[in-house]
Amino acid sequence: MNGPDDDWPDLLKAGMAGDARAYRAFLTAISPVIRGIVRARGRALGDALCEDVVQDVLMAVHSKRHTWRQDAPLRPWLYAITRHKVVDAFRARGSAIDLPVEEFADVLPADADADPTERRDMEKLIGMLDQRAAGIVRMIGLEGHSAAETGAALGMSEGSVRVALHRAFKALAALRERHVE
Amino acid sequence: MKTDDLIRALGEDTTTDPSEVALLARYLPVAMLVSFVALWLALGPRDDLRLALTSFPPLLRHVLTLALFAVSLLLGLRLLRPEAKAPLWVLAVPMFAALGAVLWALQTTPSEGWQMALEGKTQLTCLVSIPLLSIPPVAAFLAAFKSGATTRPAWSGALAGMAGGALGAAIYAFHCIEDSPLFFVTWYGVAIAIVTAASAILGSRFLRW
Repeated sequence: MNGPDDDWPDLLKAGMAGDARAYRAFLTAISPVIRGIVRARGRALGDALCEDVVQDVLMAVHSKRHTWRQDAPLRPWLYAITRHKVVDAFRARGSAIDLPVEEFADVLPADADADPTERRDMEKLIGMLDQRAAGIVRMIGLEGHSAAETGAALGMSEGSVRVALHRAFKALAALRERHVE
Repeated sequence: MKTDDLIRALGEDTTTDPSEVALLARYLPVAMLVSFVALWLALGPRDDLRLALTSFPPLLRHVLTLALFAVSLLLGLRLLRPEAKAPLWVLAVPMFAALGAVLWALQTTPSEGWQMALEGKTQLTCLVSIPLLSIPPVAAFLAAFKSGATTRPAWSGALAGMAGGALGAAIYAFHCIEDSPLFFVTWYGVAIAIVTAASAILGSRFLRW
């Protein structure tokens, strides 16, 4: 059965091999599915909190992408990560949920709300990074600069920017582990 | 930060970290060296080491512990994939082998000698030394496992403990002079179980992501 998610494995493979555009396309493609799964259970907690959880899952997919064996099916891997993070995220926010992974395949994907409310959770965590790391994350994420442009603006090499960005995401993940409220 | 912005930032983070196998290759040899040197300096090898390493049953101690190490490490690595179902029943294999050794010992030791063989003379040294010698390998396994994505952190911690405890026991066996399976299956087993339990508790926190 062919569907729009047929190219996910190829996109992720290309992304893991260094194709940044493919990787962004992959993350963009999986977001509605993740959002649908999160909202299916988290409706009562509000769309704002749900989007925080979607971002949690995307960060986890990113930091654990190397655990996908490229000859293995992608969906089970993605669902397993999603389920693990979603249960964790809701439990940490005070709401234990029941989330059987068998139901994931039937969930309808959902797009983000048109209302461009800034997600405060991620902003709060970024604020806890050191200034340079926070600046790099914002310049690349919010302002859309490339690593090279960011390096030029900050007087750093592109390589150093990438290293700093990588460490920033690791720090964000660790902060998320400890600071979820 | 909107989700699209986050995706844009994640997209620029192309740096990859070493895999759990690469980390193991880096940490485990060092850990084993540390434990080995510690054993050599603190307790020293048994006097008849060459004989012990080439005869049965002393060699059985190394064989059984290394088998347990191999099985639990392979299971532990497998469990680092989030979608993995690890066939934990495989652990029964080295355990049954150990049981077999005990049955053999019961057969070949006169029954008046069972009590003495079981108690041995060095239980306390054994119960203290094996966990201590296990610390470097368990640390190596936990550090390597952390880069994975286990959805069962306590179980992964337990497997790290079992693998590390088994290695600690295999190393301890270079000093230990108790050759009856009645002794070593029992007391090495208890020591490994202690390490397993402690590591399961550690892992349940440390291996979260």
